[in-house]
Amino acid sequence: MELAIDFFTRFVGQFQSPALAFLIGGMALAAFGSRLQIPDAIYKFCVFMLLMRIGIEGGMEIREAELAEMALPALLAVIIGCMIVVVGRFSLALLPNVRTEDAIATAGLFGAVSASTLAASMVMLDEQNIAFEAWVPALYPFMDIPALIVAIVLANLYLERRKNGGRRSTSIGSIIADSLRGSALSALILGLLLGLLTHPEVVYEGFYDPLFRGLLSVLMLTMGMEAWNRLNELRSVAHWYAVYGAVAPLVNGLLAFGLGYIAHLLTGFSPGGVILLAVIAGSSSDISGPPTLRAAIPSANPSAYIGASTSIGTPIAIAVGIPLYIALGQAVFGF
Amino acid sequence: MAHKASKVVIITEKLILDKVARVIETCGGKGYTVVAAGGKGGRGVHSTGRAAVVDEFSNVKIEVITASRETANRIADEVAATFFNDYSGITYFEEVEILRPEKF
Repeated sequence: MELAIDFFTRFVGQFQSPALAFLIGGMALAAFGSRLQIPDAIYKFCVFMLLMRIGIEGGMEIREAELAEMALPALLAVIIGCMIVVVGRFSLALLPNVRTEDAIATAGLFGAVSASTLAASMVMLDEQNIAFEAWVPALYPFMDIPALIVAIVLANLYLERRKNGGRRSTSIGSIIADSLRGSALSALILGLLLGLLTHPEVVYEGFYDPLFRGLLSVLMLTMGMEAWNRLNELRSVAHWYAVYGAVAPLVNGLLAFGLGYIAHLLTGFSPGGVILLAVIAGSSSDISGPPTLRAAIPSANPSAYIGASTSIGTPIAIAVGIPLYIALGQAVFGF
Repeated sequence: MAHKASKVVIITEKLILDKVARVIETCGGKGYTVVAAGGKGGRGVHSTGRAAVVDEFSNVKIEVITASRETANRIADEVAATFFNDYSGITYFEEVEILRPEKF
């Protein structure tokens, strides 16, 4: 009982963290009908800065790390990403009023990773002084790309079987190339390489790191406003997307937490790493995933997958998922 | 000395601008002009590339001037067939008068 109260108190306490506070603030502003707007260029700059900073820090610390430790979590990330899409294909897609290719696209987004969710969780783990290996953010592409590939392949298989213009057979190579060219992954990988191969300490300490939290708060504000504004789109599609959007982040995250725990037992994957793995599994891409899917599965209805991911998936993953996994981690690993 | 020409106007999503441009060129368009556009149609306001709240102009208006009406028709048909099932867009034609006909 005490454990439950403790858990609950810790869970609720997370809401005062700036990341969550700004997210909810943004939703409240938009709900109120405020005309406050964050210009597109600033939003893109925030995404760029966040991922550069995460990448550079990761790259700098990988220099001293044991890369073999990364193998099992990376493999788990790939498996989780693919599993999420397959599970979605055989659950969401079979519900009434749900078009299969829309469901596959939605599952694809939920298998992929959200940069903003990752950044917010890293900040919250820092606030709680929970340590994690610096290469854990680098697991991002290992989950993101396979999930999108599986989703696109499944969708094309389905469409081809329906003989309704199965897309010109998109090669897997071009999907990978397209994902890697996306703004989020490009920044992350560039940051990783720069941190690993060069000496960016001066710009990291002078520019990227100090601005990180501030820009994250602006990004969270924007995502909150965006989430509210896209709710209208979700109204035009089946209610199941909203349900999936609320349930999937938590189910996926908890599954990943379990698998991460196994990695912890087998190879000493840090508790912080387990929590982050759960967070990225529960996150749903809303920056780079949607354009990739829009180009590769054009017949899927964007209102369904973007609505589910941006309006419901990301807020739930950030506001409910992150505190949940942190509290769970504290309970399980005992700190 | 003004000459007669045809113009195809395509209003569609910015997301597919590059692909539409390629189709225009393969169908015989010698060039095109792009203008930022916003608005709403049967499918509602569509913007998938970025946060809805930060970009009102998520569409583009592409104008292609062609010397012959056949080329204009060809461009319009090809674009409509390739893209308008999956993406939002409209097309219309205008008759225009131009100078420097060798450019079209």
